Amino acid sequence: MRTHALPGALVIAASLAVAVPLFAHHSNAGFDSDKVIELTGTIKEFQFTNPHTWIQIFVEDKKGTKTEWSVEWGSPNSLGRQGIRPSTFPPGAKVTIRLRPMLNGAPAGGFVGAKFEDGKTVGRWE
Amino acid sequence: MRSLPVVLAFAVWVAPGLSVAQSASATPKPYETLPDWSGVWSMVGGTVFDRATQTGQGGAISVGVRSHPPYNAEWEAIYKSHLERRDKNLFPDTISNCGVPAGFPRHFNLPDPYEFVVRPEQVWVLTENGPNVLRIYTDGRKHLDDQWATYTGDSVGHWEEDTLVFTTVALKGFRDKDVILDRTGLVLSDQSHATTRIRKTDPKTIQVEMTIEDPKALTKPWVVTKQFQKMPAGTRVYDYGCAENNRNPADVDTGKTLILGPDGTPLNK
Repeated sequence: MRTHALPGALVIAASLAVAVPLFAHHSNAGFDSDKVIELTGTIKEFQFTNPHTWIQIFVEDKKGTKTEWSVEWGSPNSLGRQGIRPSTFPPGAKVTIRLRPMLNGAPAGGFVGAKFEDGKTVGRWE
Repeated sequence: MRSLPVVLAFAVWVAPGLSVAQSASATPKPYETLPDWSGVWSMVGGTVFDRATQTGQGGAISVGVRSHPPYNAEWEAIYKSHLERRDKNLFPDTISNCGVPAGFPRHFNLPDPYEFVVRPEQVWVLTENGPNVLRIYTDGRKHLDDQWATYTGDSVGHWEEDTLVFTTVALKGFRDKDVILDRTGLVLSDQSHATTRIRKTDPKTIQVEMTIEDPKALTKPWVVTKQFQKMPAGTRVYDYGCAENNRNPADVDTGKTLILGPDGTPLNK
């Protein structure tokens, strides 16, 4: 399994490689389908836009350095039909997000699931 | 048809469809006799175009996955070159840069909802993804003698009981390298044409059977069947504004699908 120095990231499993979501608009080959990492940070914004949605989240490392991560999810249309709304990820909320990171270690990835401070979960969080 | 005389090219692609177009009744079927295809539908299975001949495990972007159309040697070599680039993530989806239709026959190989709007004079197959519109004229008109090639082509047809039968001609195919059938890199030429049969096989299933011919690329007709299942009642269909926030354009130099950071800078160039 590939490893990268990801500030604030925790590699949680290599076995979640199944069921990589298909992005309807482009290839998602830039993401590592063999790895899921976990980030904890503060929501900057939820771009509930076509063709795909993006969760922008600030993650702070142990030295206090903030990095903005971009987490790609499905189309707003398909997510909207599943009950997801622009308000699902409110700016300022603290959240832990699981994602499939980029192969080159850049601060971005494909969304897997999220858990808020109050215990509410979104996506896959089994 | 840039490289072929118009007359010759037209004769090649229109001939198989001509008999169907000419045999169609000039009088559209009354609305009350048409089948009920209302509702919202979604394609069954993944987006490998010809799943019946698929080899390899996974989806269209998985290394080693391919279909086996009856290509001649020249077009098999073209497909193999696409597969090699796909395996390196260097074969971009033509719709990733937004702005062009998916084209035919990829029109029947898209994720997200479909609607089949049946009218006496026309049938419209609408796809949320894109969005795309396929218009099938059922008012008795024929293909134009001088129809220029487009992404989706020209479709005319008729009803055989509850089956819509139509021919599609005047397709660009891969002439301008902006129409593919799926992300494995399947392509057809600008001489491709098809006869398609659509029918409801049960209350929750619509079947689309395409018989594709392409004298430039195929050695025999290629039959591909896609199925669409009915989505829950009340399902809504939305805008698909591809250019609204496209953070995944294809790099025109390398073909690599880019992932843009929040400031628009590629994170994987």
